[in-house]
Amino acid sequence: MKLFGLILLIASFLVGCSKEQNFDERVIYLISPEKIAGFDPINASDMYSSNEMGKVYEGLFEFHPLKRPYELMPNLAEAMPTVGDDGLTYTVKIKKGVFFQESPAFKGVKRELKAEDFVYSIKRLADPKLMSKGWWTLDDKLVGLNEWRAKYAQAEATNYADEIEGLKKVDDYTIQFKLKAPFPQFLYALAMPYSFVVAKEVVDFYGKEFLNFPVGTGAFVLPKFEQTNRLVYTKNPNFREKFYPSEGEDSDIANGLLADAGKKIPLVDKIVVDIIVEAQPKWLGFKRAKNDLLEVPKDNFQEVIVGTRELTDDFKSKGIRLHAEAQLDVTFISLNNQNDLFKDNKKLRQAISLAYNRAQANKLFYNDTAIEAQGVIPPGIAGYRKEFKNPYTKYDLVLAKKLLKEAGYPEGKGLPDLVVETRNDTSSRQILEQFADNMKDIGIKVIVGQNTWPELVNKVTTKRNMMYTMAWGADYPDAENFLGLLYCPNQSPGSNGANYCNPEFDKLYKQAVVLQDSPERTALYEKINEMVALEVPWVFSFNRTKYYVTQAWLKNYKFMEFNHTQFQYLNVDLEVKKQLSKKF
Amino acid sequence: MKTNSLWVDAFRRLSRDKTAMMSLVIVIIFSVVAILSWMGILSAGWSQEVGGSNMPPSAEFIFGTDLFGRSVFDKVIHGTQIAMSVGLVTSLIAIPIGVVLGALAGYFGGWVDDLITWFYTTFSSIPNIMLLISITMILGKGIFAVYVALGATGWGSLCRLIRGEVMKHKEREYVQAAGAIGGGHMRKLFIHILPNVTHLVIINASLQFQTAIKSEVILSYLGLGVQGEPSWGTMIDDAKLELARGVWWQLAASTLAMFLIVLAFNLLGDALRDALDPKLKGK
Repeated sequence: MKLFGLILLIASFLVGCSKEQNFDERVIYLISPEKIAGFDPINASDMYSSNEMGKVYEGLFEFHPLKRPYELMPNLAEAMPTVGDDGLTYTVKIKKGVFFQESPAFKGVKRELKAEDFVYSIKRLADPKLMSKGWWTLDDKLVGLNEWRAKYAQAEATNYADEIEGLKKVDDYTIQFKLKAPFPQFLYALAMPYSFVVAKEVVDFYGKEFLNFPVGTGAFVLPKFEQTNRLVYTKNPNFREKFYPSEGEDSDIANGLLADAGKKIPLVDKIVVDIIVEAQPKWLGFKRAKNDLLEVPKDNFQEVIVGTRELTDDFKSKGIRLHAEAQLDVTFISLNNQNDLFKDNKKLRQAISLAYNRAQANKLFYNDTAIEAQGVIPPGIAGYRKEFKNPYTKYDLVLAKKLLKEAGYPEGKGLPDLVVETRNDTSSRQILEQFADNMKDIGIKVIVGQNTWPELVNKVTTKRNMMYTMAWGADYPDAENFLGLLYCPNQSPGSNGANYCNPEFDKLYKQAVVLQDSPERTALYEKINEMVALEVPWVFSFNRTKYYVTQAWLKNYKFMEFNHTQFQYLNVDLEVKKQLSKKF
Repeated sequence: MKTNSLWVDAFRRLSRDKTAMMSLVIVIIFSVVAILSWMGILSAGWSQEVGGSNMPPSAEFIFGTDLFGRSVFDKVIHGTQIAMSVGLVTSLIAIPIGVVLGALAGYFGGWVDDLITWFYTTFSSIPNIMLLISITMILGKGIFAVYVALGATGWGSLCRLIRGEVMKHKEREYVQAAGAIGGGHMRKLFIHILPNVTHLVIINASLQFQTAIKSEVILSYLGLGVQGEPSWGTMIDDAKLELARGVWWQLAASTLAMFLIVLAFNLLGDALRDALDPKLKGK
């Protein structure tokens, strides 16, 4: 679950550090905008922690770094799995000769990766004692796994030795999964950080401290994770033979993204990640060449970008490149559909949506670069239909007032104050101040409630909210990942934070999610999306476009929505860096 | 020889001090502005869109406009109302607690003193801002929580001061005389001793006031203070982002207002101490 707040901007100061640039070592400097919650893959629920874990740990599959639309490719798996005739049995062969990174837990022995490790790692995901944040990805999917989980829910300790029918090792290099019902997104689930492979010895050796000692099979090593503001990864000297891809999109050749084709990765010696929460210090750091890749903060937009896709001359002269990418995400103001106000009062929900001035919000907060969301599914994912315009996402005060009256609250009379919960950063507050201002125009009083991130999550999962703001980013390119946000059985503490329940929606959803990718499924997704859009379970806000800038010397960067595996492919051109650094 | 009472004397001393008078004038102006704003005469339209987004200061908008085209001047005025009300209400909560507990501890000594001393030392050993944050977490956010949080945490130093002063006074002859003619504990404490320590309360109140204002700004800056209306803290929070695009007027206006009132209260507090407690002068 890739939850993140609307925009991340919180107070802190850049620690002034000026040291001589070293042009001999191939180092990439990156930024993480949030603190990292630790290195246990089963809890990789936010994108920032996932990005860090993806440098050390690996899974069976990963998304191809260059091909679009996104395509899975084998990573630790030898090849894509063979699927039985029933469509339920997946057999995966894993690569031979893959070794875990060195760790005292292995007592000096080189530890090879075996099929058993995957069985163990997925059991950890299901272990009721560990309360993993990623259990939802496999909940009710594998034969016998839920029963195993239920069996130990009340027990003292979980027994990992139990055999599970749906999760078996056939031999040291073969795993067999058996699904309860067709689950076309299964391989996507195996590509998510939750199912990254860990070694039992390491987990046992470190016990509770495991999350601070990442030992994976990945391209980079981080000996110990500490809550500091800087993480330094070094190249894994024993990394297996893994090569930079030689295929991609047509434009990749022109963009120099295939220059390293066929070379052994990783291509750099070190990755340095600075954790800087506040927008301006990050930005000043980028301008002084202290980091290589950054999302352009909204307040610096005018300084960097002319029009929508062009860099200003100052930035161009430094060789900086701009990557403008539509996100597979949707931002929304969720209405608690189990609250008496919104439950069974569709007209009230629609009136609120109609009174929200999205054009104004787009201008103020996204520099007019976002797309007004019409439904749950964002552009770029099958199920989104460009022609579909939601009649309730227009800005129409007359209709809003009419519907509000029909909802039983003429001019807002009789309606209590609406409290919208959000994070306590500046932009989140400002976004809701504008929303509150809009609502005043039809007589609704909105109060903005600011919360720390854990507080907000708590209010959502315990249903103690009227409304809250959230953004949802795709975990994998399938509309199921979005529509599931409104599926009744997923209601809080699950991902359906709006607690929306609609039997007709649920019926269609259940039909759609077991279908393999096909025009038929796409048509069904479209139907469901457009049906639920008219119901307004959320106030749909935006599908955002993000703007990233990269320094001239950072090679092989191509925007990736599922980016936790991307960093191993990056390269740095020291010659260019040496020359250009004089300009900074 | 004609003698003046302490208060007349003190006022005479105070009125000779030009800085103190300036400070007093500033405090009065801020108070009047706050009252007018509270009555809805000033800044009632702070939430109205009056111009374009982020317009710089001009003849029409002396402090410019904010992101939503609202007048920054009106927001500063409304922020003044919030700040002054926080100062006033928290003083009204903290001072009685501090005075009563301090007086009881100082007068009775023994286990009463032990208990109250333990209480305020414990309170003051907890980092202030942490305590404030936890109180607002429990009470929920909003101005009410800010009043309670600041009021409940602000009495420690006054309590200690009053305790010491009462201890000193209770051995004095006039108190013993009051006892000799049959005055009870309460009479001695509240009729005889307390009036002799009121000057401390006044000095402390002016310091209390500005501490509360500063704390409110910090809490609002962190998103824990007033919700849904402008405060100097939220304006500074806004400015944090806007400065990057050269929007300096929200920051300037709110910090200027805060600077003036905090400085005025500080100077006034010093001058009051000098005027009311001449023995301390220069110390």
